[in-house]
Amino acid sequence: MTSTIIATEPAVDITKQSRARLAHRAGKFWRAGGPAVIFVAMFLVVAILTPAFLGGGGFTIVASSAAPILLVALGQALVLNIGSIDLSNASITLLGAILLALTLGPLGAVSPLVVLLMVTLFGAVNGVIVAFAQVPSFALTLGTFGIFQAAALVVSGATTVYVSQNAGLITPLYTSAVAGIPLTFVLGVVAAALAWFMLRFTRVGQGMTAIGKNESGAIFSAVRTRKLKIVAYSLSGFMAGLAGITIIAQAGSASSTGLGSDLLLPGIAAAIFGGTSISGGVTNPLNVIFGALTVALVPIATAVIGIAAQAQNLVYGIIIILIVALTLTRSRNAIIK
Amino acid sequence: MDITLKAEHDPMTTDTTAIRLHEETNSRRLRFRGKGEPLALIGALIVLISIFSILNPRFATLVNLQNILSQASLPLIIGVGATFVILIGSIDLSVEGVMGAAGVVFVLLSANSRGGHDLGIWAWVAAIAIGIALGAANGLILTRIKLPSFIVTFGMWFIGLGIATILYGTDALPSLTNDALTTWVSHIAFLFPNVVWLAAALLIVATLVLRFTIFGRATLAIGNNEEIARSNGMPVNKYKVVIFIIAGGMSALAGILAAMQLGAVSNNVGSGYLFITIPAVVIGGTALSGGKGGMLQTALGVLLLTVLNNGLVLAGVSPDYQSALSGAILVAAIVAAAWSQRGRLRIAK
Repeated sequence: MTSTIIATEPAVDITKQSRARLAHRAGKFWRAGGPAVIFVAMFLVVAILTPAFLGGGGFTIVASSAAPILLVALGQALVLNIGSIDLSNASITLLGAILLALTLGPLGAVSPLVVLLMVTLFGAVNGVIVAFAQVPSFALTLGTFGIFQAAALVVSGATTVYVSQNAGLITPLYTSAVAGIPLTFVLGVVAAALAWFMLRFTRVGQGMTAIGKNESGAIFSAVRTRKLKIVAYSLSGFMAGLAGITIIAQAGSASSTGLGSDLLLPGIAAAIFGGTSISGGVTNPLNVIFGALTVALVPIATAVIGIAAQAQNLVYGIIIILIVALTLTRSRNAIIK
Repeated sequence: MDITLKAEHDPMTTDTTAIRLHEETNSRRLRFRGKGEPLALIGALIVLISIFSILNPRFATLVNLQNILSQASLPLIIGVGATFVILIGSIDLSVEGVMGAAGVVFVLLSANSRGGHDLGIWAWVAAIAIGIALGAANGLILTRIKLPSFIVTFGMWFIGLGIATILYGTDALPSLTNDALTTWVSHIAFLFPNVVWLAAALLIVATLVLRFTIFGRATLAIGNNEEIARSNGMPVNKYKVVIFIIAGGMSALAGILAAMQLGAVSNNVGSGYLFITIPAVVIGGTALSGGKGGMLQTALGVLLLTVLNNGLVLAGVSPDYQSALSGAILVAAIVAAAWSQRGRLRIAK
């Protein structure tokens, strides 16, 4: 009698353990591949429902509209990774695009470099204030969002600024393609790969993730948290500038209400769809690529499938909540704010 | 001399003296900490009002005061709900979506240019019910599925907008045909427009609730330390759902009032209100991490931003610069509030 009990108990334990291990492995796979699976599944559904979508260069359309979202989302993911947020990066994109449109004529090839330097500095200003004044990043970047937005409005004179000359330096990014994928999107993928490499293999990247996972722990481990925060925000500004370049490549003009004026929320959504945690310490830039593709696909897919244009927002909102519910890793006793 | 002698004989004495002195300084600081921020805000408000009065004599008139207060009313109503939410350390980004959904429901169910039914008072009920439903959905997804409020309310923003867009359809802009409704908001009763009195009444009720009810104290306790609130047996999840319901209801009311002010409605009726309200709450001194702040501070924050916008227009400053000035003031306010608490080991996200 007693021996049977003794015999069964470890057996139960073993099945429990192996089940837990299986669940762990499945979770690990889902975290690594979830965003890609979701995008591919949605893309296939659209392709099956509307075969003409593939023939009509469907992926090219999705990729080209995903490019600026991807670049903004990469910067956002790097900032989210240190446990902060950057609400100002999309307004930096727009300001960068307007500055580029203004200076491309007179400065020529130097202009993109100057603009990238400037937007990186804008990002660094955010970083310096967050790191040294120790203010909540949500409120701070909400404030600088207003400042950059007004700057874009004033610099552009509240009208559309067209590139006067030298547009040929930038437009090939949009018009030429590698295997049907526009160069703007390729630029985003390269940036994502570099960001992934940095987070995975460099001290700077590992330090950033350490800040996001446990800032006190990072401070006590002699991670230079303030310097790394400035680096993260500078990179967010830099990526926003790259997004501005893709906008000029696509539109040849920029205005404070034109293309790219509503990148903030799609950028955050793409970072989150890519499995980035908003509490910090978890991000994979390669998955952000699929996050951005998903964000770009939703409006195109709803239109292609024939869901009324009016229902797009509703579908978008439900998908945001569903995808995060599916991809978020939660611990049992964590406090969710 | 005396102290050093003591120190040689009995190190404990000097140690306690140092600690006692430190504690005294701390308690002195604490006594003024609660009052410093609101006083600074009132000071800033007085300075702004004096400057604008000198720049344009039309600023300090009764008509302009009525203007400023009615401009401040909607952000204040939304701010009451947002303050509850921010006090528990969450955030409600769904404001504009809820406003759109409630505004469209209200106009379509009242006497409007598209015809349809006129449900009278039930139009109010239906519109507020939409807000309450969306708020309840926010709260339930936060507490049951355990998604962060940032994401839940971010999704709910689009869901609200989507409901508004679907209900709005593709017909012409529906405008209210009942003049009693369109003039109610700006109708002046006892010196100030109705909407100002409504906002003031809600502000007073919310202040009393936050100060004197178990629910109000629990709100602050949850924001201060959720773990301790939970282990003391507070029904934290229930309170959180109620708070999101309040926020949804307030946004819905603001949506109705915005539609009445315009006399017509589109799905974007709430556009821009989120990015007025959250800075106002934060400038007022309510901490985004929760547990610290209050309704009257939010009212001060809203007033400061409204006076600034109104005064700049009257002073002839181009509206292009306005978001920059609001942004700069937000940055200055949070940096000033956090400056004294800086420390090498302090963590600010």
